[in-house]
Amino acid sequence: MIKSYKLKRHIANFFCYLFLIVMGVIWISPFVYLVMHSFRGEGMVTVDYLVPHEWTLQNYIDLFTGSGGSASLNFPRWFMNTFIVACFSCVISTISVLMVSYAFSRLRFKSRKKFMNIGMILGMFPGFMTMIAIYYLLKAMGLTQTLVALVICYSAGAGLGFQISKGFFDTIPRALDEAATIDGATKNQIFWKIILPMSKPIIVYTVLTSFIGPWTDFILAKIIMGDNRDNYTVAIGLQLMLDNDFKNTYYKQFLAGSVVVAVPITILFLAMQRYYVEGVTAGGVKG
Amino acid sequence: MKKIIAILLAGMMTATAFAGCSGSSESEAAGETSGDSGSSTEVSVDGSFPDVSYFGDEDNITLKVWAPDDAVSLFKEQCQTFIDHYSEKTISIEVVAQTEATAATQMLNDAEAAADVFCFPSDQLNKLVDAGVISPVAFTDAVTENNSEETVSAGTLNDTLYGYPETNDNGYYLVYDTSVVSGEQAETLEGVLQACEDAGKKFIMNAGDGYYACTFAFTGGVTVDGLEDDGITQKFADYDEDEAVATLQAFAQLFQDYKSTFQSLDISNIASGFDSGTCGAGIDGSWNATTDQEALGDNFGASKLPTINVNGEDKQLISMFGYKYVGVNGSTDFAAASQILAYYLTSEECQQQRAEELGWGPSNKVVQESSVVTDSVVLSAVNAQAANACVQVNISSTFWDPMGNLGNKLIADDCDPTDTETMKKLLEDTIANVRDEG
Repeated sequence: MIKSYKLKRHIANFFCYLFLIVMGVIWISPFVYLVMHSFRGEGMVTVDYLVPHEWTLQNYIDLFTGSGGSASLNFPRWFMNTFIVACFSCVISTISVLMVSYAFSRLRFKSRKKFMNIGMILGMFPGFMTMIAIYYLLKAMGLTQTLVALVICYSAGAGLGFQISKGFFDTIPRALDEAATIDGATKNQIFWKIILPMSKPIIVYTVLTSFIGPWTDFILAKIIMGDNRDNYTVAIGLQLMLDNDFKNTYYKQFLAGSVVVAVPITILFLAMQRYYVEGVTAGGVKG
Repeated sequence: MKKIIAILLAGMMTATAFAGCSGSSESEAAGETSGDSGSSTEVSVDGSFPDVSYFGDEDNITLKVWAPDDAVSLFKEQCQTFIDHYSEKTISIEVVAQTEATAATQMLNDAEAAADVFCFPSDQLNKLVDAGVISPVAFTDAVTENNSEETVSAGTLNDTLYGYPETNDNGYYLVYDTSVVSGEQAETLEGVLQACEDAGKKFIMNAGDGYYACTFAFTGGVTVDGLEDDGITQKFADYDEDEAVATLQAFAQLFQDYKSTFQSLDISNIASGFDSGTCGAGIDGSWNATTDQEALGDNFGASKLPTINVNGEDKQLISMFGYKYVGVNGSTDFAAASQILAYYLTSEECQQQRAEELGWGPSNKVVQESSVVTDSVVLSAVNAQAANACVQVNISSTFWDPMGNLGNKLIADDCDPTDTETMKKLLEDTIANVRDEG
């Protein structure tokens, strides 16, 4: 009886694992393909076999030395642009999201509920819905085709994404705030010295999402940058490499570029993952 | 106190918003008036440079030029020559790389931020004129006289010439590896496919893209004939339905006979395939000629599209063929200077340079006769094909997808070339969809 139970379990496990392995392979295959072919030496565009015949670092070297024949396709520059924009918008939006969340979670003021509802409704509209309006507003300010415009776009509305961090702040007992108030702390001090140090996971979450944004956004960057290729971000730059004019010479560099884009995000995630887990397991109140 | 600050802030924001509006409308108005002054005067010119008096009182001129990537450095040199020639004026010109395929889109996005002088292919003319972002050509007489008739008429809309003709080579042709396909075999589609099959190589054509797939319909006599009076519906020339259906069947039969050889892939795979030795021939765009030549070296062969045998008769494949133009932005601040620059950039001198250095087929009558053009294998092939082509102008935006669909249906595994009724229905559906009547 026991034996057959064991057998049953083994069979069930076998099929579970088989299913998971198949799903895993399917899921990871595009990445494997991308990475493998970014090291491909032969061919120009696609080839009809999976494993490259000739392995080389040349695509990466070409990508960073700009030896593809077209001076306006400057990947290192696009990479720096994106990095700068990502850093600035990451800092600004993280701070603003956390402050808005703190205010909604801890302070009580008139029409707080209404503001939250308005924020929620506005947050439901996709960002690119207003892109034409944003473009003309930026144009009126003379900021189109600049990186500043991108930082503004990515961080100005960030406060609307307060829900998740507000939910997190709500779980931190108000008793802590009260204790701090009794000790003479102001609301500002409570935010910086009590709440923030206890909210590492949510800070990490906000930092990650706002840092990734500029690396993946295409539509806004495309419409704002227009013909100014010097200020392109990696997303529009990589897409430009697939344009009919460049595809034959830049396809393999495009593959390499796609791999390189993942590097900063991965580094940031690895660096912050520790705090992420630590924060989640540490819990709110300690003695 | 807080309330006062809030009101002040709100007031300031409204003020900025209004300031923004008035600012942009002012400059728009300025653009329009200067645009008018540019187009109203008719000037005749000799040589490559119009007289300096045409500048009027424009000085301290800054212009932006959009040129395709591979031409940027040459355009820069030509602009420098332009600046040197008009030394009495202060001119600075910035040449920015911009893909021609998206030039109209970029112009329509924001004409004020766009280039003053830009390159665009003939099929975008409608869009540009409809949106009012392109100025008519100021030197109509000289341009008409210097350039071939087809390029001028394709650049004309409602009796007004809008584009300075720049090239007459925007089309596709047959490119092949001479070690696989012989010159004689390249004359018929059957020959090309057989040669590729014998050598175990692929024949590549992007049959799922309306730009190439319209060949199937055109060859059967279903050619386009401008737009209906409403300005958006595609008009077709009269055609013999039986013949058109028979042609489609012939194509489908060939694709089925050479299933493993005929590959419908993006045309970038052609040069790539030549490079890796997997491709024997393909139907490629003239703009890829340099890449193809590099990949094939001495084995590079080019000719007009082949013929196809329909019920015992060899029919020439009819393609889509277009021209490229240089246009002047309607909202430029320097209308006269832009016109002069556009004129110079499309002059005999500049077209000659581009033909020599970039291999672009000229629209200028004199340059067309020059040895650089007549000796070029690619340009000869493109020109031979141009004689068997529909001009890519006045093409409705609903044209491409149904044509691509037609191509996909013809190469599909379940396509039965012998089924006349289905083929007939396919053709009728395609036409109805193009005309948006489906």
